[in-house]
Parts: sequence; C-alpha cells; structure tokens
Amino acid sequence: MKKPGKRLISLQINGMEYEVAVRSDRTLLELLREDLMLTGTKEGCDDGSCGSCTVLLDGSPVRSCLLLAVEAENREVTTIEGLAENEKLHPIQQAFVDHGAIQCGYCSPGMILTAKALLDENPAPSEQDILHAISGNFCRCTGYNKIVTAIRAASRNGKGGD
Amino acid sequence: MDELLHVGRSIPRKDGPIKATGRAKYTVDVALPGMLAGKVLRSPHPHARIVSIDTGKAARLPGVRAVVTAEDSLKIKHGFVETPRYPADQYPIAVDRVRHVGEDIAGVAAIDEETAEEALSLIEVEYELLPAVFDPEEAMRPDAPEIHPNNPKVDEPYRNIGGKTATSWGDTERAFAESYLVREDKFYCQMRAHGYMEPQATVAHFDYSGKLNVWTSSMGVFLKRAKLAKTLGIPHSSVRVLKTYVGGAFGGKIDLFHHEYIASLLSMKCHLPVKIVYSREEVFKAARPAQPLIVRIKTGVAKDGEILGQEIEAINDSGAYHGSGVVVIFLAWGFAMAPYRAPNLKYEGYSVYTNNLVRAPQRGHGAPKMRFAVESQFDMIAEELGMDPVEFRLRNVRKPGDILPNGDSVKKFGLSECIERVAERTDFRNRHEAGKRERETGATVKRGIGIGTTAYFGGSLIYPNSSSAIVKLNDDGSVSLLTGALDIGQGCETILCQIAAEELRMPVEEVQIYAADTETTPVDIGSWISGLTYVTGNAVKKAAGQAMEKLLAAAARELDADVEDLVARDKQIFVGHSPERKISYARAVAASIARDRGDSIIGEGHFRTMKDVPTHPSLASTKGRWTENYSSYAQVAEVEVDTETGAVKIVKVTTAHDCGFPVNPALVEGQIDGQVSMGQGHILSEELRVENGCVINPSFLEYKIPCSLEMVETDYIDVITEEYKRGHHYNTKEVGEGYVSGTVASVANAVFNATGVRMKKTPINPYDMLAELKRIRKEVS
Ligand code: FES
Ligand code: FES
Repeated sequence: MKKPGKRLISLQINGMEYEVAVRSDRTLLELLREDLMLTGTKEGCDDGSCGSCTVLLDGSPVRSCLLLAVEAENREVTTIEGLAENEKLHPIQQAFVDHGAIQCGYCSPGMILTAKALLDENPAPSEQDILHAISGNFCRCTGYNKIVTAIRAASRNGKGGD
Repeated sequence: MDELLHVGRSIPRKDGPIKATGRAKYTVDVALPGMLAGKVLRSPHPHARIVSIDTGKAARLPGVRAVVTAEDSLKIKHGFVETPRYPADQYPIAVDRVRHVGEDIAGVAAIDEETAEEALSLIEVEYELLPAVFDPEEAMRPDAPEIHPNNPKVDEPYRNIGGKTATSWGDTERAFAESYLVREDKFYCQMRAHGYMEPQATVAHFDYSGKLNVWTSSMGVFLKRAKLAKTLGIPHSSVRVLKTYVGGAFGGKIDLFHHEYIASLLSMKCHLPVKIVYSREEVFKAARPAQPLIVRIKTGVAKDGEILGQEIEAINDSGAYHGSGVVVIFLAWGFAMAPYRAPNLKYEGYSVYTNNLVRAPQRGHGAPKMRFAVESQFDMIAEELGMDPVEFRLRNVRKPGDILPNGDSVKKFGLSECIERVAERTDFRNRHEAGKRERETGATVKRGIGIGTTAYFGGSLIYPNSSSAIVKLNDDGSVSLLTGALDIGQGCETILCQIAAEELRMPVEEVQIYAADTETTPVDIGSWISGLTYVTGNAVKKAAGQAMEKLLAAAARELDADVEDLVARDKQIFVGHSPERKISYARAVAASIARDRGDSIIGEGHFRTMKDVPTHPSLASTKGRWTENYSSYAQVAEVEVDTETGAVKIVKVTTAHDCGFPVNPALVEGQIDGQVSMGQGHILSEELRVENGCVINPSFLEYKIPCSLEMVETDYIDVITEEYKRGHHYNTKEVGEGYVSGTVASVANAVFNATGVRMKKTPINPYDMLAELKRIRKEVS
C-alpha cells in the first residue's frame, strides 16, 4: 500500500509557530495527538459525530477529526493546552471545575473550547444559545445541566467574562 | 461532637483542574518508546467452526512484529462469574469455534495502525458455518441450535439455558384466588450501548524484568490483574495494572476484555509495548453492550390496593457466553422485591445463550428494566382500581426495619418519605388528575406526569470483596492517601480525600491521593456494585482514624497532656482547656520518629461489607445476604407528547433520594443528572439494532444518545437517613446506578398519563407512539 507523501506546513498552535512535515492524509487530530503529543484533544468517534476532538481554528470551533492537518496551514489553532495561563485556569475552565461540569472529563476539552468560542462571540448568551452552541458535543456523564450552569457562570450574565 | 469540616460538603472535585486543562492522561493518551499498534481480527460470522487459520502472510508483512492466535495461548477459559454451577465458559481468544459476530480470533502488532490493518486482511481463516439463533425465546426451545454442547446443563432438556434463578415464598396461587384484581403483562427492554466517550483502550508492556505492565480503560485494576494473571498463566506479582484516567464506563468496562488479553500476549511475544484502541464502530460492534430483558409479571391485589401476590419471569438474552447474564437474572429478582412488600412471590429468571454479542452490566444492571415493568404495571393496576399512583405505592412500600426474604434488613429505608416528598414538591396528585383530563382534550401537545421508584443495593461480596487503605503523614504534616480505588468519573478520589481530611482534621488540599496501582496501592473492590463510598470510604476512615490516634498519642506525650483533652485543627493539636499549649502535626510526626524508635505515622484500614457473611448470595436460589444498605428513591417525570409527530419530550425530572449520607452533595447531584440523561436515552432513543447477530447502527449518528438540545431540567430532594460520626463506620448507600430506573419508569407512566398510551416496550419511539395513538383513537370512535 503506497502511503501519500509528506508536506511541510507552518501553523500556529497555542501561540507558538510550528513547522511540521505531515502526510497529506493525516487529520489535524492525528497531527496534534500523535506527532505533537498534544493529547488534551480527545478522539471519541472519528466520524464527526461526538465533538470530543473540537479545537479552535482562527477562533472558531472545528472537529479536528474531520479536518486534514494540511488544511490548517498558516492558520491559528487553539487546543485545550493553550487556555490556562501558566498555572492559572482560564475562567471557563475554572467555572467547569467549580460547578461540577466535569465528571470523567473526556468531553471537557472539546466542551470548554466550544464554550470559549461561544463566549468570545456572545459574552452574554441565553440558555438556548448555550444549548445550541454545545449541541454537537456529547457528554455521557453529566446530562449537560452543570455544563450549562458553568458556561452561564463564566459568561457576562454570570458576572464572569469581562 | 466536633462539627464536620469536610464530609457533607460540596467541594469541587480534586481532579477538576487536571481534566479541565487536558493534562489528565487517559489510556488512549499513553505513549511509550517503541510502542506498536495492535489490532484484533474478529469473526464475521455469528456461529462457525474454525477449520484453519493461516497467519503466515500476515507475519511476513514488513512492519509486523507479532501475530497471535489461540495456538499462542494457554487456552484457559474465564467468565464474569466462575462458580461450580456456572464455570468459566469463554476463551480469551477463540479456540475452535466462534459464537458471535466480532469474536476475537487473532491479534497483530505492527509499527503503525495501517500496517496492522493490512496484516489483519492477510490472515486466512477457513470457517464451517453452523446454524445460529438470535432470539432468546427461540433459543429456549428444546430443538434450537446448541451453542455450548459441552457445557453443563442448568435446565434440562433446554440446551441454551445458561443460567436460572428461581425462588418463591408464600402461595401465589392462593393469593391470586383471593385477589380482587389480577393483571398479567409482558414488557420488553432493548439492547443498549454504554456510550462511554473514551473507547475501549489498552496498552500492555511486557518488560525485560518479566513484568507485564498494563494501562487499560477500566472500572477497577485488581479484577483486571486477577483475570489477566489467570488467563495468561502467570503470577499476580508478574502483572501490574496502573492507573489512567477513565473516560466513562457505566458498567461496560468491567471483566476481562479480550483485547486486553491479546495486547498482553502480543507484548509478551515481542517484548515491546502494544496499544490497542477500538474505533467507535468497533465499540458498537464488538465491545459488550448492555443486557436486554423480557419481563412477564402477574400481580394480584386486594380492593384497597394491597399487593397479595406476584409471579415474575425474566428472560435475559446473554449472548454467546454467560457474561453478566447469570447475574442480571439474580439482580432482577432483587430489584423486583426490595422496594415493595409482596407476601407471596414466585420468581424465575432465565439467562439464555444466543449468537449475539456477550453482555456487560450497565448502570443499574437490570433495575431499569425490572422497575420499568413493575412500575408500569403498578400504574395500570392503580388506574383500574381508581387509585392514585402515589397512594398505591404508599400502600405497599417497605417500611424502615423491614426484613427482606433473604434476611437483609432495609434498615432506615427512606422510600416512603421519598415518595411523599417528591409528590408534594411536584404537586403530583393534582397534576396527575389534570394529565388524565389531557387525554380527553383536543390539544396537539399533551402534558403528563408520572412516578417511578427503586431501591438499590450498596456493595456486595464479589472479588476482591474488601478494600484497604493506607494513610501516611509526611514530615511537613501533610498526608498521602494510598487507595486501590479507580475514579471513573464519579468522583471517588475526591470523597476519599474528604473522609481522610475529616478524620485528620486538616485541609482537603493537603491530602494527596495515590490511586489504582496494583503494585503500590492496597486492594480495592472497584468502581462497580455501588459499594465504593461505603466499603473503600470506611477503609479510608479507619486508616485515617488510626493515623490520627498515633498522632494524638505523640502530641499528648510532647504536651504532657491526656489524649482526651486534645483538640486538632488546621494541622495543629491543642490542649482544649489551655490552647497556648500546642504542637504542629509536623512536630508531632518528628517527635514520634525521635521517641518511638523511628516510628513514622502510618494508618491502615480495611473494610468488608457484611463481615460475618462468608460469601455472596446464591445466584441460583437467591439465598444468602445480598447487601447491608438499601438506597431508595422516587422520581417524578413531566413530559410533553406531540400527538402529531409522536415525539416525547421530557421536561423535568424531580428526584427524592435516600443515599444515606451524601459525603459530597454536588457529586451526588452530578450522579443524578447523569442518570436522568441515561434514563432518557433508555426510554426514548437508544437501541442497538441487530441483524443476524451484527449491529447495524454502529455510530453516534445512528445510535442516538441525548444531546444538549434535549437536556432535561432536574430537581433534587435529599432524604437523609444516616449520619457520619467519629469512631464508627458510616452507612452510605448507593447513588450512581439506580436513578436510571426511576426515570425510565416515570416517563413511561407520564406518557400514559398524558395520552392513555401504555408502552410495554422501550425505547418509546415516535413511530410506535403514533401507531398506538391511532389505535386508541380507533377504539374510542
Ligand atoms: S472524534 Fe471528532 S467528532 Fe468525534
Ligand atoms: S464528563 Fe464524561 S463525557 Fe462529559
């Protein structure tokens, strides 16, 4: 079986410049998890249905299992590893911890990044806005209730946000 | 008594930050130098004899490092249950027959996944197809194809009855003869997937010291070690199972899974680490799904609603091997009899071999199915008697102190209080009457309300039966807690730290926990059978209590005071009546080491439930003690049924629960929310569809678990029946499994309340709902 050749691409991940040689059939998820060992991004299905692999591409949530790594060329990727500043959790991360929005935690990276994209765009979302924003991210543990509470707490409505 | 500092409080979970930042290592994240990708070759046939396997071409493919088949194995069988009646019935790698689609036949380890995949395609297997059977009731016929010709027969002449539980008391015939009303109904529950977000995953590394190191997404490390050691034929001391974070399990990751065995065997062959991760499709098609159940119930009641007698038959399709089938038919009996009195009862449960996938327990393990059946029938009877469903339940509910037929006491059982309080909070009686009127109106969307209840056991005697814990005081007075418990998301690490901190009167943040490593942490019962907070929690309580005693003894000597006069707080020990006389924990530790010939301060604790009972109850006869603590809960669901589309929406579920004493109320709420959501999936949307033994909807696109847009509002009422006291063990009850049942049952009852449609099969899909609505309309007109 002939494997496709590699391409050299540049991209920014969590504010750092990367130049990587990547096979053109590799997904962004594989690049992050396997080549760069950024394993915070999770794989739950590999067919775009679960949302665990969500990262931000130029600030918008994308499913990294559905995106080829080469499509991220010259773009800016944010993964869960890029959110906390030094040891200080991002306010959304802190809200997830404080409000019991994390159980097994497998969905949390994707969920938190989806929430970040929502709040960056709409700092004071309604409950419906929140439910819609995370509707492509499955969580099997929490029933979503405490996730919604956490996102609201991190929003301007909950006096989080700035 | 000192006020409680930490237990009973909603502190955020200790592993929150590491999970929120993506630094928590799950099994799928484990990467070791030289690690190979492993893949499993699975049977495409539901039943076949393996005539030959040729792995030659696969082994010669460049990049392949090892190939294994049954010939590389010791051919030692294992089983979820291994008793004289139910001996182990499953090889970890198929020997000469496959009995279900997806059964593991061979394993390959290669330098990457693609090479491993290609190698699989080069393995040549010749099969001789055998007749297969998929329906449990068909498989029960004497002439059905025989799936295990050489297994001992449990119920001659039925060849495929793999397990039977039978018990009775009183005289049901007479009870029915004396009854004012007798009903007989049959209910069906579907086959579901667990839907854990982290797929099955294992890394095995047999190193050059001869040790097999295993990281695996599981529910407890000690059971995995025991089963791997047994099937691989190596000592327990040669297997080390290490902690990883677990991305959900819900019952689906107990027992030995064959990829764990195959990864180990591959690594033992090539001495390199081997990682096997299932694709999601593989999870749906080859991992163990949950137990389906068919329940037939006949109930006789007096005119005032008193239950006089019940006959129950449960049929479980166990799939190709026992799996947990022989257990679920025992548990289903327990969930039938525990919450309500039935003075005369006859129960028969059958676990039947078919050529379907083997099953695992799933959250509730039989309770959602049994309670769905019983509680649906309760409402049908109440309706016929013209009684309110709440009154009917209160009439029959078990009271505190009741002794069950197996000798267990329900002790401070809170179910009647749960029922009363949930009914009051939801204005149930009025709204139930209003719901009945909805049936008559022409409204397109009808609103209804329903109730469902359950009792659940809290730990039982299954390997390894007990938990131990070690608490070490460090030089600076901080604490290290060693426990074999594995946190699967429920938050056990957090509550164990709360308990240690409570006993040691110190900040929770200063308790460091080291968990779930078979080599360095003590034995633990595991995160199943709903006994961890009770069993491991009490072991930690004893260990921390013992460490505290030693610390106080050292402090008393240093302060020249009596131990009884000492007060501890914030890592300082004071003399109560003269608080200026004090010593820090750090100095007390140092003093102990200096004065007591080097004794540092370490506490150990051990706990076993039902300590005077030798073993678990009989799965065949139900005789013997089952558990020490029965939780209970009553749930009310409010639903909307769209009579044009057949869609059911669950608006709100209110739960009144008696979990004894909530060590961390926020974590309890998390468990309730999660279970309401799982119950929602069970009753409305989730079903594995199977054709000729093969799952035909193997993705989240076709197997629908609840998403945020269907989020159900939840409300909770705590019914607290136990206390946490110093110097005693405490009684917590189950909290993580049984709520599923109340949700399933209450929604079914609410749907009936709103529409008059009684669904006896789950899930209630819009298609069936519309058909039933139409049928009713025809009957009326
Ligand atoms: S892994 Fe990408 S959506 Fe599930
Ligand atoms: S916390 Fe487990 S899947 Fe969301």
